[in-house]
Amino acid sequence: MSDVGLPASVEALRRVREDPHRLGHRAHGPTEPIEGAGHGATGPAHKRIVVGYGFWIYLLSDIVLFSCFFAAFAVQRGATAGGPTLAQIVDIRRVGFETAALLLSSYTCMLSFAATNARNRLWTEIFLLVTGLLGLVFVLLELQEFIELAGQGITPQRSGMLTSFFGLVGLHGLHVTAGGLWLATMMAQVLVKGFRPEIVHRLICFNLFWHALDIVWIGIFTIVYLMGINA
Amino acid sequence: MSNPASEPHLYSGASHGQHDHAPGDEPAESAGHWVRNANLGLGFSIVLTVAAFLLAGSHLVYPPAIPVALIVLAIAQMGVHLVFFLHITTGPDNTNNVLALAFGIMVVFLIVIGSIWIMDNLNRNMMPMEQPMEMQP
Amino acid sequence: MFGKLSLSAIPLSQPIPLITSFIVILIALYVLVLITVKGWWPYLWREWITSVDHKRIGVMYCLLGVVMLIRGFADAIMMRTQQAVAINAPGYLPPDHYNQIFTAHGTIMILFGAMPLVLGFMNFLVPLQLGVRDVAFPTFNSVGFWLTASGALLVNVSLFIGEFARTGWLPYPPLSETTYTPGVGVDYYLWAVQISGAGTLITGINIVTTVLKMRCRGMSYLRMPVFCWTALASCMLIVAAFPILTATLAMLTLDRYVGWHYFTNTAGGNPMMFVNLVWAWGHPEVYILVLPVFGIFSEIFSTFSGKPLFGYRSMVAATLFICIVSMLVWLHHFFTMGAGAAVNTFFGISSSIIAVGTGVKIYNWIFTMYGGRVRFEAPMLWSMGFIFTFVIGGLTGVLLAIPPADFLTHNSMFLVAHFHNVIIGGVVFGLFAGVEFWFPKAFGFRLHEGWGKAAFWFAFIGFWVTFTPLYVLGLLGMTRRLQHINVPEWRPWLYMSVVGVGILVLGVISQVTQLVVSIRNRERLRDVTGDPWDGRSLEWATPSPPPFFNFAVMPNVEGEEAYWGIKLRAIESQQLSPEPTYEPIEMPVNSPVGFYTAFFASVFGFAMIWYIWWLAAVALVAAFAGFVIFAWRDVHEIEVPAEQVAQVDRDRRAAREALLARISRQGALS
Repeated sequence: MSDVGLPASVEALRRVREDPHRLGHRAHGPTEPIEGAGHGATGPAHKRIVVGYGFWIYLLSDIVLFSCFFAAFAVQRGATAGGPTLAQIVDIRRVGFETAALLLSSYTCMLSFAATNARNRLWTEIFLLVTGLLGLVFVLLELQEFIELAGQGITPQRSGMLTSFFGLVGLHGLHVTAGGLWLATMMAQVLVKGFRPEIVHRLICFNLFWHALDIVWIGIFTIVYLMGINA
Repeated sequence: MSNPASEPHLYSGASHGQHDHAPGDEPAESAGHWVRNANLGLGFSIVLTVAAFLLAGSHLVYPPAIPVALIVLAIAQMGVHLVFFLHITTGPDNTNNVLALAFGIMVVFLIVIGSIWIMDNLNRNMMPMEQPMEMQP
Repeated sequence: MFGKLSLSAIPLSQPIPLITSFIVILIALYVLVLITVKGWWPYLWREWITSVDHKRIGVMYCLLGVVMLIRGFADAIMMRTQQAVAINAPGYLPPDHYNQIFTAHGTIMILFGAMPLVLGFMNFLVPLQLGVRDVAFPTFNSVGFWLTASGALLVNVSLFIGEFARTGWLPYPPLSETTYTPGVGVDYYLWAVQISGAGTLITGINIVTTVLKMRCRGMSYLRMPVFCWTALASCMLIVAAFPILTATLAMLTLDRYVGWHYFTNTAGGNPMMFVNLVWAWGHPEVYILVLPVFGIFSEIFSTFSGKPLFGYRSMVAATLFICIVSMLVWLHHFFTMGAGAAVNTFFGISSSIIAVGTGVKIYNWIFTMYGGRVRFEAPMLWSMGFIFTFVIGGLTGVLLAIPPADFLTHNSMFLVAHFHNVIIGGVVFGLFAGVEFWFPKAFGFRLHEGWGKAAFWFAFIGFWVTFTPLYVLGLLGMTRRLQHINVPEWRPWLYMSVVGVGILVLGVISQVTQLVVSIRNRERLRDVTGDPWDGRSLEWATPSPPPFFNFAVMPNVEGEEAYWGIKLRAIESQQLSPEPTYEPIEMPVNSPVGFYTAFFASVFGFAMIWYIWWLAAVALVAAFAGFVIFAWRDVHEIEVPAEQVAQVDRDRRAAREALLARISRQGALS
């Protein structure tokens, strides 16, 4: 028995009470158990955390998918095969409008989620609708760009550079379109079912997805369009 | 619809750090905090976007430095999105998220930079072709 | 109306695919009729097809893998025998048929044989070892399995409708572009692999989330069994690497279908970029296969040596090291493609360094055995065979990692021998070891030990007799994928290899016999306690087979080797821990959405292959509709009443009491 402190039996009881799983006291790290953070004290995390994290991991895989198309673009940006160069097809004004639309839609998406957290159905739907409309503006502008180019005979079949240009930008547009379909489904679900836990979980996932698309767009407008002006 | 009985995780604990967070997730009591993040994020993003658009194709900066400047602005804006819209922080409740993100960034870096390096070397060593259809080095 | 599809797609003029298709269709029809006549459809639908239980899904994955392994092995037999008889002779397989066979062999073995087996093991074991009830996304898990099965179905359909790719298992352009391969073969490959790749990605996401966010109380990261660490690393690689495959195959698909120029050799396409990107996937892929198998061995070595695994932390570190470095080595698959000295040197060094991680593991396994009481039952035999075989295979790999040496051996039979050495010696041996080890847990009865040992010895000896000649042939200058041989000096080696194949066939027969004999004698071989091997991790705490909710009460973990601690405490105190309070358990309900999605994925894939655009559109719309209907469901959990939980657990406790009494009588642990 030590001079300082309590009898061993009391010590043992204190240890069991404070550290029931004998995880040991760590000099670093949090002193209170954090659910789902892996330090082991709390068991499986709440479904909200699990769903959100799983979707985060999916998003990382999607980012890797985009990076392959970026890599292909980087490799092929000079492969014009005697056809038009990047500088000749870039329309900065339109890209500016597309960027503004997508950035604003990310903002309204955040606001809709704030409304969801406040359990306000009306404002959730309103901001989701605005998000969807802004996304639609983005997609329509992009379609307009593609149709105009095709009208001039500038198609992905013309050269390697055009293939990877249309591929990268088109893949992003496809994601935005899919996101739009998902958004419409979510709006219907919120209308019919309200803010049940699984609906909120899906809205968390949708938010992650929409913001990630804007992050990818930052990469695209910088590397493809802005850097392409001088190509 | 949301109350302490049905969603105790949203209402328990006085401190934030009691619960792990998925990216972009906040407990209910921080709705105002959420809007503030959105406004800040939008503001910074607009500044960075406008700067990038003005910089490209202009002569405000030493021209060969423009691509680097654009990339810096892009990375900064991606950071703004991650922090303000997706709420990635360095808190202990976010460690898993940050680690996963770091892993993803590493993979993206390897694929993009690795491919550029490898393909550039391959192309440089490729036999010259007669027609002017090959890639520029 | 039917696109490119017509009656000429059926290979009436080619006897081998025709007869094979006939036999396969007959067997399939027999099975379907049997199930119908015996009235098993309701049971199969309820308990297996719509199941979201990770254990059921794991078993189905393994079943798919085993069936496809047999098909891949049949391809191998054909290849080895063709090469033995086609020395200055035509052989019995015409070139374009032979090319389909080696393409199918590689594709099936890796993507539809080994991958499903590895995914099946991870699915079955990870929740049990972590002390939880299911993976993070159970219904999604079902979708993933059925998509993989859909891909496998498409590959097999190519046998009797159309043809398969002739490009090798990685379809390099420009050969795989429409200009040089206008037929449907490459399209079958593309859609089958894309669809099953989506399934694999789903499992990857599921397992990563499960390991990181769902563990029972007290199970911190450094208390997880090593198998869970390797599953985590492998699934992190899946999440990182499979999108690369998706992207690359999508680019090739776009080239083929709409005339784009990613990889063409005209108009600015770059065929070498395919090689670069596909190996950026391909190398992590082999580590995706081998890392969980390393985890299997870690469990087996510690259990059968009666000792904790040596160097747990270094094992974890080595696993994560291998995970990261595996993304830094991919160029070693195309050293000879002309990237130059600087690039080759970098990747040569990284490829040599990655061996260090595996070396650490090998030493840890050996030191685990040292000082322990080693039991040489079937799982341990496979593990010892693995150590010997894999080390040699790994050494030839380090040889290949040196660019100047690789310039001589690239695409020779030396390379073929090397990768079969590590894949068979590593992945296949590990999977068989795992099957022997965990079969009792999954099905409730043990496997016949004698036939298991016979299967191992045939496989081990057969492997070396088959592949040692291939090493020699590679050094003698023989290249891979030869349909006929012009060098008579190679004859003795090719014959020896066929003898080895014969021994391997005996191994396969022994393995099947083991299964049949064990099923016949299952009452005598019944595993009543749930712990037939004196196990150390939590899956051995459950009955065999475990109830669908895994644990009546989720365990509280207080140390490493959670179950071992529980067992020792029970033995020392001569009694089980007190009976817990039973509460109702919520479990996810079954769902047909996985099967439904995969059905329409198969239809979509088939329609795209044959250019039947209206059918493809219908399938897509139907799949989306199914997704929306599924998302609309109100009931997604079912509550298991506490009395039912209590009943199941009391049976388990009774069996454990009996085991405890037996151990006490024996007076020793094992």
